[in-house]
Amino acid sequence: MLANVFTKSIRDRWITAGIGAVAVAVFFWFGAAVYRDVDTSFYYEFPRVWLELVGLPENGGVAGIAFGAIFNLIGAFVLTGIAIGIGASSIAGEESNGTFGLLLGNPVSRRGVLISKAASLVFIIGSMTLLLWASGYVVPRLVNINMGGIHVEALILALFLNALAHGFIAMSIGAWTGSRNAASSATVGLMVVGYLAAGLLPLVGSIEWLARFFPWWYYSGSSPVSSGVDTLHTIVLVLVSMVAFAIAYIGVARRDLKEKSTAVTLLDRLRANPKTQKMIERIAGSARVSRISIKTTSEHQGLLTITGSIMFYMGILIPAFYNFIPDDFINVISQFPDAIIAMIGGVDMSTASGFITGEIFSLVGPIALISLMVVMGSRALAGEEERHTIGLLMANPITRSHVIREKIVAMLVYGVLFGIITFLGTWLGVLISGNDDVSATGIFSVSVMLVLLGWVFGAIALAVGAAKGRSRSASLVATGVAVASFFVFSFFPLSASFESWTVVSPFEQYLGSDPLLNGIAWADAGVLATIALFFFAVSIPLFNRRDLTG
Amino acid sequence: MTDTAIKTEALTKHYGEVKALVDLDLEVKMGEVFGFLGPNGAGKTTMIRCILDLIHPTSGRASIVGLDSHRDSVEIRNHIGYLPSDLSMYPNLTGKDTLTYYANLRGGVDWDYVDELASRLAADLSPKVGDLSSGNRQKVGLIQAFMSKPNVVIMDEPSTGLDPLVQREFQAMVREVAAEGRCIFLSSHTLSEVQRVADRVGIIRNGHLAAVESVDELRSKGIRRVEIQFTTPVDASIFEGVPGVRDVEVADHHAVMSFDGHMDALLKAATSTYQLVDVNTQEADLEEVFLEYYRTGRPDDAERTATV
Repeated sequence: MLANVFTKSIRDRWITAGIGAVAVAVFFWFGAAVYRDVDTSFYYEFPRVWLELVGLPENGGVAGIAFGAIFNLIGAFVLTGIAIGIGASSIAGEESNGTFGLLLGNPVSRRGVLISKAASLVFIIGSMTLLLWASGYVVPRLVNINMGGIHVEALILALFLNALAHGFIAMSIGAWTGSRNAASSATVGLMVVGYLAAGLLPLVGSIEWLARFFPWWYYSGSSPVSSGVDTLHTIVLVLVSMVAFAIAYIGVARRDLKEKSTAVTLLDRLRANPKTQKMIERIAGSARVSRISIKTTSEHQGLLTITGSIMFYMGILIPAFYNFIPDDFINVISQFPDAIIAMIGGVDMSTASGFITGEIFSLVGPIALISLMVVMGSRALAGEEERHTIGLLMANPITRSHVIREKIVAMLVYGVLFGIITFLGTWLGVLISGNDDVSATGIFSVSVMLVLLGWVFGAIALAVGAAKGRSRSASLVATGVAVASFFVFSFFPLSASFESWTVVSPFEQYLGSDPLLNGIAWADAGVLATIALFFFAVSIPLFNRRDLTG
Repeated sequence: MTDTAIKTEALTKHYGEVKALVDLDLEVKMGEVFGFLGPNGAGKTTMIRCILDLIHPTSGRASIVGLDSHRDSVEIRNHIGYLPSDLSMYPNLTGKDTLTYYANLRGGVDWDYVDELASRLAADLSPKVGDLSSGNRQKVGLIQAFMSKPNVVIMDEPSTGLDPLVQREFQAMVREVAAEGRCIFLSSHTLSEVQRVADRVGIIRNGHLAAVESVDELRSKGIRRVEIQFTTPVDASIFEGVPGVRDVEVADHHAVMSFDGHMDALLKAATSTYQLVDVNTQEADLEEVFLEYYRTGRPDDAERTATV
């Protein structure tokens, strides 16, 4: 192993990893504080099957709910997301940056680099896991709640192995393709689909086996927080990591390394083909550089395609899926007390509209659109500075305000497009499945509110980027505010002393009035629009008065 | 239109404690090729970024074609072409797309002229910019800077990565622009990049303008390099106080120095204590003159502001 490569890889990532782990620990602390105030007697009346399904321990009490809710979902996504980032960057990242050639100009082997990168992945994810494990012990003592009956170590171990499995899969895809984007997007896709499959497929017993194709199933399927370590699942996750690493080990040495180069897209191929050149040139050549807003949208069309497709398919699948859920299960859900309904997004999952809100609009929709908007917002100005393209851009006869306005137009257009795709997908899904209690107006209303929510966080990212010139800070701040807002919306209603603060969360304005059922609450829509407008507007003076970098 | 292309008055830029530019006064005329020289970190790029309104000066002001660099920044950009150092463009756009993008922001350009420039520089505009070598990328940047036929072309290290043939063509383009009464402002850290085309050069060092002189004047400065061989080991202190002596290097019997004073005084000092074996003197090349400025700034000799 190469000590230098190992330590440099850690140095590149430890801040992100540290922030991620500390954020999850802090959320756990807040969550535990909120749950302490909740009357949990209802909790012990739940059927065991349901508790297992949502990953809550049978006798965990307050601490169990908090631990399960925060670590199972937020913790798993943060840890796995960071592992994928590290894995995808290991080999493919060095190639994309054009630094791999320089690295191999030294007396080191490709496999030596790979082993060092793999070791740094294990070290970073291991350190994060240790931090989470420590918080699982410290926090309950700080807020004075009982952790009896909860398998902290089992959950932590499963989190660790699940993150590593995804990290090594990303590493192997990167080692074979040399494309960081391919590695990270394919593995993130595997993670998201795996999460949905592990959560949804067991609802329909006959196709539950499909979930076993995803690593995520071996993390959450055995409910480690309540059932303890599942040996078989643990072995599967370890094997996935080992096989993925072995594949990377073979791939990295066999392949011609890429120089720093751009990806060849389908559009490029069509453009190079004499038969299609003329037509493609018209729509994708000079047209896409006709103005800043259009060029900006073309830069993010891949992300819109991915997030839009997820929403479209979710929209079609989820209403149909509701029809497959056994009635017994729906009966159980309909008995849920308010407190637990609040925890799953404040929606009544026993109705079709509640199920659709819960499965499409309370988590997946906001994650998809906020990701899209935050990426666009954070890169709009800060990205131009970081890529050193701002100087050339501003040498043209345009004002800085003009650049911002064009970038905002691109964000508004993509927000609307995302909303239309979501609306169409869900509407189609409802039509196909024949769920009469969900109206087109309702779907339109919740789609509109979702778009407004997306703009809020996109605008925050834009403003921070305009003020700081750093896209990473911009996306960290906007994502942090989004996660905190979701947390406030989901957990504060459970506690009498925190409940009144729920209103500060944009998610409360977005879903608080249940727009799928009740239509657009204009006051809430006004609040979201005003917040978005404020941050869009404030970006202009922030950007105008600053020395540009890059 | 005014005949002053670029003018700065007491232009100052501080980054906290760091003084990147200090009271820079400079005037560059239309029809002139001006070389702006200085070592790395001297303040060349800071000056350019100030006059382009990418950064705001701490004090002082600048104007381009008589327009205020901050107040009239957008109007100014109608008159300029710019090539930054470390050129970065959008890697996923082809050269043609890149030029189209900037042309659109300018309200259009003459594409026949773009084609002519591309052919003169032997630039292929069909690959993606991200797939081009640095020299070929630089060609796209150069075309971009020239394509709108701007009154003032500001270029930061323009020859980076260009092969000698393309460099020669580039120099011809520069001279043609100046012959048409337009202005070229070339920033560089090497004299060779500008000495063939520049009429005048400004030398910046530690944020101060050390000198502005015509290239011919600099050549006539007559700094010589003097080597003296002694019979015994010699002490460098004997040259202290001799007018015109700088950078004395002594090794055993041998002394080497830069010298632009009277030889009589130097020889008197040398023979006061020691016996000479040999004296060898040769005129320093222009590069040596510049290195001298880089090393010392020579503020005493420099004209602080210059307009010819």
